[in-house]
Amino acid sequence: MERDVPRKGALPGLERGIPITLLLGLVFLPFLARSSGYVLQVFTHALLLASLALAWNILGTGGLISLGHAAFFGVGAYASGLLSLKPALSPWLTIPVGGLFGAGLAVIVGVLCRRLRGAYFALATLAFVEIPRVVTDNWDGLTRGSLGLVGLPGLPVLIIGPWRVEIGSSAAASYYLVLSYTLVVVFLGALLWRSNLGLALQAAREEETAARAVGVHVDRYRFLSLLLSAFLTGTSGAIYVHLTRYTVPGLVYSLHFSAVPVIFAMCGGRFTILGPALAALVLYPVDQFLFHPLLPAGHEFLYGLVLVLVVLFMPGGLWGALRRSP
Amino acid sequence: MWVTALVSGIALGSFYSLIAMGFALIFGVTHAFNLAHGELVVLAGYVAYWLWKGWGLSLVFTFPVAVAVLLCLCLILQRLFALLREPLELNSIVMSFGLAILLQNGMLFAFSGDYRLIRTPALTEGVYVNGLSLTYSQIALVALSLVAIGLLHLLMHHTYLGKALRATIQDREGAALAGINVRGMGLVAFGFGAVCIGLAGPLYGSVHYLYPAAGLQATLIAITVTIFAGVGRIRGLIVGGWLLGLAESAAVILLGSSWRELVSAVILIGLLVFRPRGILGREEG
Repeated sequence: MERDVPRKGALPGLERGIPITLLLGLVFLPFLARSSGYVLQVFTHALLLASLALAWNILGTGGLISLGHAAFFGVGAYASGLLSLKPALSPWLTIPVGGLFGAGLAVIVGVLCRRLRGAYFALATLAFVEIPRVVTDNWDGLTRGSLGLVGLPGLPVLIIGPWRVEIGSSAAASYYLVLSYTLVVVFLGALLWRSNLGLALQAAREEETAARAVGVHVDRYRFLSLLLSAFLTGTSGAIYVHLTRYTVPGLVYSLHFSAVPVIFAMCGGRFTILGPALAALVLYPVDQFLFHPLLPAGHEFLYGLVLVLVVLFMPGGLWGALRRSP
Repeated sequence: MWVTALVSGIALGSFYSLIAMGFALIFGVTHAFNLAHGELVVLAGYVAYWLWKGWGLSLVFTFPVAVAVLLCLCLILQRLFALLREPLELNSIVMSFGLAILLQNGMLFAFSGDYRLIRTPALTEGVYVNGLSLTYSQIALVALSLVAIGLLHLLMHHTYLGKALRATIQDREGAALAGINVRGMGLVAFGFGAVCIGLAGPLYGSVHYLYPAAGLQATLIAITVTIFAGVGRIRGLIVGGWLLGLAESAAVILLGSSWRELVSAVILIGLLVFRPRGILGREEG
């Protein structure tokens, strides 16, 4: 069991060095990539996917693998999109409300699946995505059905004293908004990891029976972690929908958004704080810059291949492999 | 209208039993949860489509080719699943999730995202009996599925190999103690699973539209029927397939065809939540 327990790394320099270098790189990226809007766009999306992977991993910390986070992502996206269209609320308000809708859906999932573990929980979540997807697709009156949402308001205007930043119309401002949101999720994840909740989740993952025997309320903590994970996933979905300003049910409830957090978290290291984000920031740009131009159709085979290889040969993920090396 | 729904429900349901059969056999013997099952069915369907459209082959002759292709693929799959470490069920589900993405994108590359259907005049025509219309494709679905399942039933219950397979499904350690080559049985199970998938694929291509992401629906159907029936219960698989087919037909009539995709997902969640013990059917003997 020793392999999975978080501990001070064998490479302390690397463990501090990578996040700091990465953060500096990310902060200064808009200045480096000033000429290319495409690079910035790819990294904005990579950061959003990083937040999704981190949110997924909050549930993963407790040992549960969800193959259906697209359900929360899509509900958050649709809730925020619809509220910003009809009552024309500001996205500042509708984005967290999207997160709340995600958490609301998680209440149903959590109550129904409270006794499922391992493969059966994974299976139930995989099937669960179909429900909000088909309902959204068919409830024309509310969701506009398969026509989708078009002309959504972009990310909102930020007013600080005399400054006025139109986040929606500036690629760099959008980038910084998503970066700060991802940092908030990292911070929350780190806080959680060290809290009683995080410890309880890790104990439940390693040895559920023993954790229960010493009085850890495993079910309660897992339920809380599911709610938090779904809230953040829904928020990511809401930000995504205002970034793209367009969506259809097949887009946000797609296998892509269920699969990507699993792949990034497994690849980066499910039992680490930063691993999932790191994997997102490496894999997504590799996919977009290298494989997408080569193989316009089917470039996402890369994600499937990475997941297969990681499960087979590197169960601790990349970060886990770095830590274990002497 | 209800009679037509009954007929199409039974026809589709027989086909669902065939899809589930391959999954149940592989899962029962090796405990490998193959989420890429539906993708393999769709891939077999594409192989048949390609032979039919590109080479002008009659649908009948696409079956042996599809089975041969699937046998090769399942052999590779068996090697991959054999590499996994414990907990086997969870690891196999995550790995095959990756395989499903891999296959989907491979099919997107090879066959593009267009919707495709094997549409032969021989299949869309039909016979009318007492005002009840049966298309040849429905007859073919029922006949081929039931014959394949019947043969497998004979194999499982009237041969020595079948006995060994059933013993492995019931208790792997016990079977190994009795001198059964459990790994060899895994290979056999993947082989027969490949035959089921290879037969189901061309049929799938002639009743449903083929597109790269269609596999998930077939996977959900296979898992739903398997969990309903319990592994290694062939009659249960037929009943389960029929019930699911009928439930889908009823949903199409009552709610509309766009709700059909929800049926298997809801039933699967219901089975998992309210009947979590049933999957290996141990408690039932």
